[in-house]
Amino acid sequence: MKKMKALLSIATASVMLMSSISIPASAETGTSVLNVMIETQVESLDPQQATDGTSFEVIADYTDGLMQMDESGAAVEALAESYDLSDDGLTYTFHLREAYWSNGTQVTAADFVYAWQRAVDPDIASEYAYMLSDIGQIVNAAEIIAGEMDKSELGVTAVDDLTLEVQLVVPVSYFLSLMYFPTFYPVNQEFCESCGDTFGTSPDTVLSNGAFILTDYEPAATSFELVKNEDYWDADRVSLAGLNYQVIQDSQQALMSYQVGDLDITLVNGDQVEQVEEDEEFSSIGAGYLWYVSPNIDAVPELANLNIRMAMTMAIDRESITADVLKDGSKATYTAVPMDFAAGPDGSDYAEDQTRYSDVCTYDLELAAEYWQAGLEELGISELTLDMVVDADDAPQKVAQVLKEQWETALPGLTVNLTVEPKKQRVQDMQDGNFELGLTRWGPDYADPMTYLGMWVTDNSNNYGLWSNEEYDAIIAECTTGDLCTDAEARWERLYDAEALVMADAVIFPLYTQCNAQMISSSVTGIEFHAVALNRVYKNTVKTED
Amino acid sequence: MKKYTLKRILTSFLTLLAILFILFLLMQLMPGSPFNDEKLSSDQRELLYAKYGLDQPVIVQFFKYVVNMLKGDLGVSYKISKNTPISQLIQTRLPISIGIGGAAVSIGALLGLLLGLLAALKHDTIWDSLATIISVIGVSVPSYVFALALSYYFGFRLRWFPMLFSTKTLISSSILPSISLSMFTMASIARFTRSEMMEVMGSDYMLLAESKGLSSSALIFRHALRNALIPIITVLAPLVVDLMTGSLVVEKIFSIPGVGSLLVNAIQSNDYNVVIALSFIYSALYIGIMLVVDILYGIIDPRIRLAKKGD
Repeated sequence: MKKMKALLSIATASVMLMSSISIPASAETGTSVLNVMIETQVESLDPQQATDGTSFEVIADYTDGLMQMDESGAAVEALAESYDLSDDGLTYTFHLREAYWSNGTQVTAADFVYAWQRAVDPDIASEYAYMLSDIGQIVNAAEIIAGEMDKSELGVTAVDDLTLEVQLVVPVSYFLSLMYFPTFYPVNQEFCESCGDTFGTSPDTVLSNGAFILTDYEPAATSFELVKNEDYWDADRVSLAGLNYQVIQDSQQALMSYQVGDLDITLVNGDQVEQVEEDEEFSSIGAGYLWYVSPNIDAVPELANLNIRMAMTMAIDRESITADVLKDGSKATYTAVPMDFAAGPDGSDYAEDQTRYSDVCTYDLELAAEYWQAGLEELGISELTLDMVVDADDAPQKVAQVLKEQWETALPGLTVNLTVEPKKQRVQDMQDGNFELGLTRWGPDYADPMTYLGMWVTDNSNNYGLWSNEEYDAIIAECTTGDLCTDAEARWERLYDAEALVMADAVIFPLYTQCNAQMISSSVTGIEFHAVALNRVYKNTVKTED
Repeated sequence: MKKYTLKRILTSFLTLLAILFILFLLMQLMPGSPFNDEKLSSDQRELLYAKYGLDQPVIVQFFKYVVNMLKGDLGVSYKISKNTPISQLIQTRLPISIGIGGAAVSIGALLGLLLGLLAALKHDTIWDSLATIISVIGVSVPSYVFALALSYYFGFRLRWFPMLFSTKTLISSSILPSISLSMFTMASIARFTRSEMMEVMGSDYMLLAESKGLSSSALIFRHALRNALIPIITVLAPLVVDLMTGSLVVEKIFSIPGVGSLLVNAIQSNDYNVVIALSFIYSALYIGIMLVVDILYGIIDPRIRLAKKGD
């Protein structure tokens, strides 16, 4: 009997242990609190260290930068009340508005200087430091990152408390759109230094100057909360009382939680779409990612043959992949720059015309077979076996299976073997040139086609196939640091010339632009979705009581 | 006994040190690196390696780690929660995993024992068959199937319990995950209890005890169960560690911020420090529990205690 008692007391002890876990103070859960599902946890709340979409979204919930995104994704003033650009296009002067951090101190130009210096500081080793150097072209950024100069030499100056001056090496046409990217968000030096290593790890170690304030968070939390910031400079615009985030990795649980009303917005995976696609709360939103196959042109002699590559890209039935396999609204793509993230000088989408390269990228089995035969003859072979590296995730594996089937059916003599690996290993293999075909993706960092086109210049680390073309490199140089920097329209046209070269040489086989299927409660309006930088913005979101 | 215990503790420490070194070597064999994101240039990658000391030889990294660990510093996360001290990450998560795992073991052990006793005492009746069926289901059906089924019926359809774990509704939101996790323990314990009880009850000393005219409850609890418990504890010990260190799939289903999901995330993103720290803690718990079990044997079974005294 004693033993039973012992067992019972062990049981009681464990229940007590469970009850002793501290219960954090609960935030107000009024009806206008938006319940948001996210798939992954926040990796970092330090604006200069964060690199993932979830972290960016949350940081932007409680922090404003110089500019913010409007509904269409264009850059409009946020903490900057106005700005001037010098005639040579090299000096931006931002005039800050009166705004305050949640500890009562004013947001000043010095906060931006400090933050941007952190971003290029080799001791901090920010992964997105290149946003200031290669992309933003800020004076001395590259030298500081390389350790050749002190961070105080960075081309950004606090002229006075409310005036920030930024010096660029060359004019950057999309510079303002970088200002809503969290790497460029301000950090208060005194506060940050007082937190030391704990900066950004709890509600007490972050400051808000934005629409919401973080009230409940711990590192890698599966749920956390923000409440409306009543002292936000634009508080009148914010209608939500707060945001509750819930990490849910299991898609079935997510959908059920949505159906019982615990969530207002949730992602839906491809297999669930059929269940819900008739529902008016169902929608599909562009995620900006381009999925494509990269052939290793440099290392595989057969893939160095243009006819073989042409045959392979023309044998892909992209519509069938998006409609029958993915089912989440993803769009078949026939261009090297995907749709819906970069608008040109006239406001239209760069990749709107998907037939622009239809002579070199289309679904045409007869043409594919002709190219294939020509290629085999040139190589003097009748059979070809290729290996494709694929991420061990659900969607890429399904897509790869279909690609294999389409290729092997359309191109006689071709065998494609799939090597499924964890993403980390797949990326490593492709970086090392240790692959034949690779199924990969790229997400835009800023709203300009260059975020894609920059990849295929000679020696770029993401030019996995080591393709090299002098004319292409010259066009890209012309558009980034050359004469076309200041002529937006001519630059735009020239970018198409560059893209045409990539397509004509079948440097990549574009597949589809990824979309996310999701459910949004009918009581919620005004969530703004973007493919670049901030995937979701809630400043204009309204949740009405049922 | 004292000498034996001391010796066991000393070997445990050495084992842990060896485990730690092997973990370091294993990290080198892991494919990829925490910093091979496509967006990083090779210079940036080198900067990051230098920042976290990963550019140094393994043996140097190992000694630095051991020295820091003795100071209570387990390092920081590289990836899943950048620059957060691992002690801070574990601090909030381990109690949750231990809590839910502990509840699951308690429920499982208690129900399993009762079920096993029932089956043994009423063997070859309908009760016995029923208990066997429950045991077979519990052992063969994975816990995540129970988790999904319970979540669907009791969370979604009936709405008796929350579908997702929350510290705000700690007790009610722990019930479904604890029950899902307890099924395997319950089934294993029930099977072992039944077979051990059957064996013990058929032994000569039980016949002697019965012939002395002992009451049946005294017979079962003082003689039969006591002897049957030893093998059961051997089975229970590793289950306790398994459950306390968190179950990956069940944590994922109920969105429980436990250590199981932390470890899997860390492995997937090559977050070396987190993987090492958690694996080390698992090993320490495992070795610790084994030590406790050895000592428990002595308490439950005087023959072992006395035999060791004679050493």
